[in-house]
Amino acid sequence: MGRKNPLAYFGKKCLVFVFSIFVLSLAVFYISRLAPGDPLVSYYGDRVEKMSPKEREWAEDKLGLNDPLLVQYVRWMENAVHGDFGISYKYKMDVTEVIASRLENTLILGGLGFVLIFVLSMLLGVLCAWREEGWLDRAICKIGTVTSCIPEFWLSLVLILIFSIGLRWLPSSGAYSIGKKDDVWDRIVHLILPVSVVVTGHLWYYAYMIRNKILEEVRADYVLLAKAKGLKKRSIMFRHCLRNIIPSYLSLMAISVPHILGGTYIVETVFSYPGIGTLSYESARYKDYNLLMLLCLMTGIVVILCGILAQMINEKIDPRIKATEEAEISEVKKR
Amino acid sequence: MARVLEVKDLSVSFFTPAGEVQAVRGVSFSLEAGEVLAIVGESGCGKSVLCKSIMKLLPASAKIKSGTICVNGVDITGYKERDMNKLRGRLFSMVFQDPMTSLNPTMTIGAQIGEAVRVHEPRISREKLHKRILELMALVGIEHPEERMKLYPYHFSGGMRQRSVMAIALAANPDILFADEPTTALDVTIQAQILDLLRRIQTQLGTATVFVTHDMGVVARVADRVAVMYAGKIVEIGTAEEIFYEPRHPYTWGLMQSLPAYSKGKKTLSTIPGMPPSLLHPPKGDAFASRNPYALQIDHEEEPPMFRITDTHYAATWLLDPRAPKITPPIGGRSHE
Repeated sequence: MGRKNPLAYFGKKCLVFVFSIFVLSLAVFYISRLAPGDPLVSYYGDRVEKMSPKEREWAEDKLGLNDPLLVQYVRWMENAVHGDFGISYKYKMDVTEVIASRLENTLILGGLGFVLIFVLSMLLGVLCAWREEGWLDRAICKIGTVTSCIPEFWLSLVLILIFSIGLRWLPSSGAYSIGKKDDVWDRIVHLILPVSVVVTGHLWYYAYMIRNKILEEVRADYVLLAKAKGLKKRSIMFRHCLRNIIPSYLSLMAISVPHILGGTYIVETVFSYPGIGTLSYESARYKDYNLLMLLCLMTGIVVILCGILAQMINEKIDPRIKATEEAEISEVKKR
Repeated sequence: MARVLEVKDLSVSFFTPAGEVQAVRGVSFSLEAGEVLAIVGESGCGKSVLCKSIMKLLPASAKIKSGTICVNGVDITGYKERDMNKLRGRLFSMVFQDPMTSLNPTMTIGAQIGEAVRVHEPRISREKLHKRILELMALVGIEHPEERMKLYPYHFSGGMRQRSVMAIALAANPDILFADEPTTALDVTIQAQILDLLRRIQTQLGTATVFVTHDMGVVARVADRVAVMYAGKIVEIGTAEEIFYEPRHPYTWGLMQSLPAYSKGKKTLSTIPGMPPSLLHPPKGDAFASRNPYALQIDHEEEPPMFRITDTHYAATWLLDPRAPKITPPIGGRSHE
C-alpha cells in the first residue's frame, strides 16, 4: 500500500531500520557487559594483576564501569548521537580511528571475495544447468556439496599448512609485508589464501541456488514454445532463462552480503588479517566495549540495509509487480 | 494432394522410476497438405505426447521405441537436437494449451514474435522485421499491433495471448501446425473466436494442422478428418462426416453419447463408465474392453486390428470382424454387418 506514496514507503523502511539498530545496540551493550571477563585488562594490560582492590575501584570509576548498566547505556547513547563513540581501551584511540585504519583491508578482502563468488557461481550454475544430470553436473554437485561443508577455519589451517609451511609459497598472515603497504603485488600474494577460503566456503551455496533457479525456468512452459519456434538451446538459456532469474539473482546478492561478511570475519581471524573481523574478535575477547559496540553496530547496519535493499530490488524489478501498479494508474486516468 | 506427414507404427514410452509408461503404442496416421486432422480422446490417452514426440519436444525420460516419422518424404525419426532445431518453426510449429504460461513473462510480445521470425531469417533488416511482426499480429487478429507489440504478456487477456502464441507459431510459415488443446484454457466465447481464427488462417495459408482436443464440439467445428485415440492407440480414424455420422468403434459411440446434445430431455448426461487403463501396465487385448458394453470374449484376449470400412475410414474393433454378432449401434446410420 505504501507504494502509492513513496515518502510513506521510505519513511516506513527508515523507521524499521532505526528501530532495528536501537534494539541491536541495546542487546550488544547488555550482553557484552554481562559476559564474564575483565575490561581493565585491555586498558592496563598485565598491570591489572598487581593492582590493589582500591586501585581497581579507582580505575573502574575512571572508565565509568561502576555505574548501573542503564546509566552507562544512556551515557553511551548520548555521546554516540553526538558522534562520539568513545575510545578503544586497548588502542587508547578514538574507536572510529581504529576502525578506519582497518576498514580498507576488510573491504578489499570482502569485496574481492564477493565479486569472485558471484561471477564464479553464475558461471558454475549455468554450466551445471546446461549439462543437467550429465556426468559434469553430477561431479560438480557432489564436489560442491563436500567443499561447502568444510569449516572455514579448518580449511584455512590446512591451506596454511600446505602453502605457507610446507611449500613456503604464500605468507600465512597479515595483509602486507612490513613497509610494503602500497605494494600491489605484495597485497595480492597476501590475499590469495584468505580469498580462496572465503570463496570456497560460499561458492557452492550460491552456484547451486542459481543452478536450481535456471532449471526451474528451463521447465517452464514458455521454454517449450521457444523450442517449438526453433530457438537454439543457447538463445533459450541466455536470452530467456537467465534474464528471468536476474531479479532473484540480484536480491540473492544483497542477502548474501552479511553471509559473506561473516565468513570474512572468521577467515580474517585465522589469517591474522588486520581487518574488521580480527578487530571484532579481539574487542570481544578483551572486553574493549566501545570498539565492540561500534563494530557490531556497523555490521548490523550493513546486514539490515542489505536486507531492505534485497526486498526493494524484488519489488522493483519484477514486471508483474509493476504491472499492477500500471493498471492502477490507467484506472485512475480513465476516471 | 501431397502427403506432408506420415507416422508409421510409432511407439513412445516414458521411463520413470515406477516403470515404463507406454504413452503411445503403435500409432499410424498421415496428414495431407492443407488439411485439418483432429485427434480426440480422454485426458492421458497420449494425444499431446504424440504431437510432442513428432516435434521431439518431450523430456529426456521419453524415448521413441519404434516406428518412423516422415515429413515431406524425409525420415526424421533419428534426427538429433541440432537437426530438429532447423526444422522447428519452419517445417512444423506448435500452439500450446495454456497461453498464460507459454509466453515469457519478461519479454514484450513484439520481441517474442520477432525472435521467431529471426530464427529463420537471421539477416532480416530492422524495418522489415518490424513490418513482419505487425503483419503477423494483424493476421491473428490483434488490433492496434503498433502499440501492443511493446506490451508484456501480462497486459494481455487469455485470448489475446493465445493469438500471440499463434503469431509466434506461424512466424516462419510452417507446413504443419500442431495445436495442442489451444482452446481448453480459454473462456467459451473466446474459444469460438480462436477456433474460427485457426480455421481462417488455416485456409488462408494452407497450413496442414493437427488439432488435439477432448471436445467433440470443437472437432465438428474445425476438422476435415478425425482420429480417435484411446490408451495410446488410434482406435478409429476417418473423415469428419464418417466419424460423426457413421462411427463404428464403441468408444467413439461413447464419446458421441457424452455430448450434451445427445442427452436432451434426459435428467443426466451420458458418460462412459470406468476409467482409462493405466499405461504403466496396459491390459491384454483391447484396452477399452472392460468399459465396453459391446465387448466380445475375444476383446479380452487379443487386440483387434484396424478394419477397413472405406478407403478413408478405419476402426479397431472386433465388431467389424465378419464373424462378430450383429449389433445395432446406439448412434450413427449403419449397423455392423
